[in-house]
Amino acid sequence: MFGKGGITLKIKSVSRSVIHLILFFITLAVLIPVLNIVALSLSDPGRVGELSGLGIFPKGFSLRNYEIILSNPMILRSLGNSVFITIVGTVVNIFLTAITAYVLARTNFVGKRLVLLFIIAIMVFEPSMITEYLLLRDLSLLNTYTSLILYKAINVYYLFILMRFFQEIPESMIEAARIDGAGHFRIFWSIVLPLSKPALATLTLYYGVYHWNEYFRATIYISDPNKWPLQVVLRQFVVTQDNTTMLQGMDLTAAELAALNMNSLQASTIVIAVIPLLLLYPLILKYFTKGTMEGGDKD
Amino acid sequence: MKSLAKRIREDWVLYLMLLPGLTFFIVFHLVPILGMKLAFEDYRIIGDNLWVGMKHFNTLFSSPAFKDVLLNTVTISTMKLLFIFPVPIILSLLISEVRSNHFRKYVQSVSYLPHFLSWVVIAGIWINLLNPSSGGVNFIRNFFQLPSLDFMTSKDHIRWVLVFSEMWRSAGWDSILYIAAIMKISPSLYEAAQLDGASPFQQMRYITLPSLIPTVITVFILNLGFFMNAGFDQVFNLMNDSVISQIDILDTYVYRIGLINGQYAYATAASLFKGVIGIVLILGSHFASKKITGKGVW
Repeated sequence: MFGKGGITLKIKSVSRSVIHLILFFITLAVLIPVLNIVALSLSDPGRVGELSGLGIFPKGFSLRNYEIILSNPMILRSLGNSVFITIVGTVVNIFLTAITAYVLARTNFVGKRLVLLFIIAIMVFEPSMITEYLLLRDLSLLNTYTSLILYKAINVYYLFILMRFFQEIPESMIEAARIDGAGHFRIFWSIVLPLSKPALATLTLYYGVYHWNEYFRATIYISDPNKWPLQVVLRQFVVTQDNTTMLQGMDLTAAELAALNMNSLQASTIVIAVIPLLLLYPLILKYFTKGTMEGGDKD
Repeated sequence: MKSLAKRIREDWVLYLMLLPGLTFFIVFHLVPILGMKLAFEDYRIIGDNLWVGMKHFNTLFSSPAFKDVLLNTVTISTMKLLFIFPVPIILSLLISEVRSNHFRKYVQSVSYLPHFLSWVVIAGIWINLLNPSSGGVNFIRNFFQLPSLDFMTSKDHIRWVLVFSEMWRSAGWDSILYIAAIMKISPSLYEAAQLDGASPFQQMRYITLPSLIPTVITVFILNLGFFMNAGFDQVFNLMNDSVISQIDILDTYVYRIGLINGQYAYATAASLFKGVIGIVLILGSHFASKKITGKGVW
């Protein structure tokens, strides 16, 4: 009896160790490529050649790459553009989504079913990027931040998440305000919204991450490089390998230029584009995980 | 019973509150959808477009370039479905076996991370990882005495680059639905199985896996609905001239002939074709899902 139990226990602990080992290697496969970029960006430009492709510690230590990148007027401007588009875009998105969700979730009016049906129907069909482009051109919205703020201003999936949340607010909490004579907008603004902080936080992160990472619409709608968000500049630099545009407008001597390593400069631009996400990552993890798991519950 | 007109008049605030959202959906979603009638027209800069019926579709279906693009789309989507789809399921099974909360949190936090990076950033990371002279993958190849390869420009390898980079990005995050499903399995099932002497493997085989099947079916069907997409953002950022013949997909084709070459009507026809197949797949998946699992896609 004893011996048999001991063996099963042993098999169990061995297989568990194997599982731990596999999972540990999976996390390495995710982390090493990212940390290698960080190491590349922080290495001494003169010693960067010594860094192996799997290295996660910088060779030497230098902030020279960041100094160069952050003194590049184009990257600085694009960083400002990204921050602006992300903040304004998220606020506008949240407001539009919330006010629409309130009307659809908490009230009854003539035509409500029709509106819901319409939203579900158009959700199934994605418009062509061509007709979207032509529409924005006809509205004179090309080369404006508005085009990026309004594109997908209401994500139908997020709208439904918020509607479900609003529906769960107990009627009793709203009834009192109604007796006091509060109208719908008042109820929405001073009762429903404050009660929905967790859901609004989730949506803020959803929309925020979306806007920060958005590059394609900006690529096709914005042709003026001064208005590009960071992701478009990064794409120009890393994917299109357009180094000349990146170093334009900077006073660098030939010797200074020769001392630069393009891979390291690209790496530091990538790091800058990822830092805001990393800073918010604990919050992102918490709210995205919750939102997705609850979304999964519905299925 | 109030009259209809009276009810509408009394609820004017509601209609006012609905106005911004409804306007958004009509202007930015419905109008460009209706605008896709451009697929049946010749685009004119001045004056009204000319109705040309199926002209662009006839050109499209007789074009060898379009056939290649269609084939690439189907091939890449199939490869992804085959090789990526099972990974999050396996990952969720492994993660659910971890007893240490710290280690589980670590694995989840790390494996979810790439999901939040943009494809521009991921392209940057992968271009660096696959660099022929200094990249990590070739470092490993050289260690095993294998010659370095330039994966990004290799026709034979670029589709595998798509498969593995997509796996890297999404497998972790996609395991979350399966982990949620596993967490909902009653612990008493495992306790009973342990009393009956079931090994951990048997428990996984006879309790965990069967409980996952409804989620697996739902996710599979959802994926099928997006089959024609094949991952536009990924291809757009990993594409280069050497490998365009291997990974040019419907959406990148539409982008190039439409927005770069300015053949708006022709590109819209290609979009519409893709959209119609997409809608058939989505509706098909919805009803298939309803039939099999009792729940639709929405």
